[in-house]
Amino acid sequence: MAMTDDELLSRYPWGAIDHDNKAQWKGFLEYQLLVNRCQACGHWFNPPRPMCPRCWSLDVRPEPVSGRGRVQWFTLLYQGGPPGAPSPYPVVTVELAEEEGLRIDATVVDCDPHDIRCDMPLELTWVDDQGAPLPAFRPAT
Amino acid sequence: MIVRNPVKDQVAIVGVGTTPFARSLSERTGPSLALEAARNAILDAGLAAADIDGICSSAMAYYGSAGANPAYLQEALGIPETTWEATIPIPFTFPLMNAVNAVYSGACTTALVVHSLYRIGASRSAGNDPFRARAVPPAGFRAAGPSTDGYASFASRYMHDYGATKEDFGLVAINDRSHASRNPHAVMRDPMTMDDYLNARLVRWPLGLFDMDVPIDGADAVVVTTAERARDLVEKPVLVHAITGGRTEHPNVTSTSSLEWNAQHVVAKALWAKSDLTLADADLFYAYDGFTVITLNWLENIGWCGRGEAPAFLRQHWDADADVVRIDGRIPMNTHGGNLSEGATQASGHTREAVQQLRGECGDRQVPGDPKVAVMALGGMYINASAMVLRTE
Repeated sequence: MAMTDDELLSRYPWGAIDHDNKAQWKGFLEYQLLVNRCQACGHWFNPPRPMCPRCWSLDVRPEPVSGRGRVQWFTLLYQGGPPGAPSPYPVVTVELAEEEGLRIDATVVDCDPHDIRCDMPLELTWVDDQGAPLPAFRPAT
Repeated sequence: MIVRNPVKDQVAIVGVGTTPFARSLSERTGPSLALEAARNAILDAGLAAADIDGICSSAMAYYGSAGANPAYLQEALGIPETTWEATIPIPFTFPLMNAVNAVYSGACTTALVVHSLYRIGASRSAGNDPFRARAVPPAGFRAAGPSTDGYASFASRYMHDYGATKEDFGLVAINDRSHASRNPHAVMRDPMTMDDYLNARLVRWPLGLFDMDVPIDGADAVVVTTAERARDLVEKPVLVHAITGGRTEHPNVTSTSSLEWNAQHVVAKALWAKSDLTLADADLFYAYDGFTVITLNWLENIGWCGRGEAPAFLRQHWDADADVVRIDGRIPMNTHGGNLSEGATQASGHTREAVQQLRGECGDRQVPGDPKVAVMALGGMYINASAMVLRTE
């Protein structure tokens, strides 16, 4: 896509963005969750890195995931949640459907936090953070 | 894994030192606490400054805690000559292991190992390149998503997989508090009932205040030397029989495979391959308790019981009079009160306590029966797991 690095950084001034993960952050602006996939062996891995951890190929490319997953484990933050966020603030490790062990952390929305359970099916959605989209999950419909 | 253990029983702990522990020692500095513990450890070994030729400090700046680096310690203690130094991340097993290896290899002969805690804010610096500036993020830079770090998420899975309840975690907290109530060095000494535990404020569900270690100001230090030299120096050298770290290819909480396979399993595999002694030889057990869920997992993964069985195991071996676990009616766990009640020491407290128990120095807290073997399962579950077996002759 045509966006420059400076444009990306200005959309997420607080983001821990580097050259290795900037494609994933750019994907957020397009409402896409992009995850690196090894083009040699097909292995999906997150967070983004330039080499496949399974076969060591350097031919890796960010690809969009389906957005389906399930709760691997979670916590409810009674302190330490983002300022202004509801309390308790749910934080979930999602196992994405593409591959066992493929994980991403996010919050869960459209759900009473006390209803969250391990193995609960989830689907990708988006939340706004200071005018820029971030991935989140909600109970799968 | 190719397992070897040539260092087995070749290096001994000959001195331990500590400082007062408190929630806040505001008239002290981190370096001065390190200095006090170091001085006490060297004197405890019957040694002086000129005897120390290696120094290892724990690396705590990441955790917002000030300590002392080897250069400060060498100058403040007036140590005339050293040939080895290191600054090693916690838990304490790792600075200790590095000092043991340094002594064994001949990099030095008598090493001081120091861990101090003094809570301060973190400081950062940034470069000019906007990407490089973010590589060392000042406060305010963060990842795209919140992190499930902090062990509470593992606890949610432990409850889901094994049907565990909050009361099960509470047994760990109560065991530690009962021991701490008899330990004048501990910062939390009021006896804890299960109601006290259950009523504690929730912090990160399912973990609450009493599931989490108590931050303190304080320091611990040990001195190690060759076993041969140790036998001339002290009455009861505490030999390092086996010591190991362990990690998988998923050293973070997000990607840890499961409760069925993580760093603790790697540690247990390596420890028991290195050690001639087994759990059957244990007289003392120490299990890391930064968070109660870690302790339950260590009980299982180090081999006392099967997966998910730690709560039943604790209940089966519970001494209701003392409100502690006593495995086989005999082996206590965390005799000092642990991170949860003596104070958060990242295993330096467990190490100091094990040495003093093995040397028979704990007075009215002394575990009876002349304990000779301490099995110690230290550190967490995904990034800093470790274990060791200490013994006396």
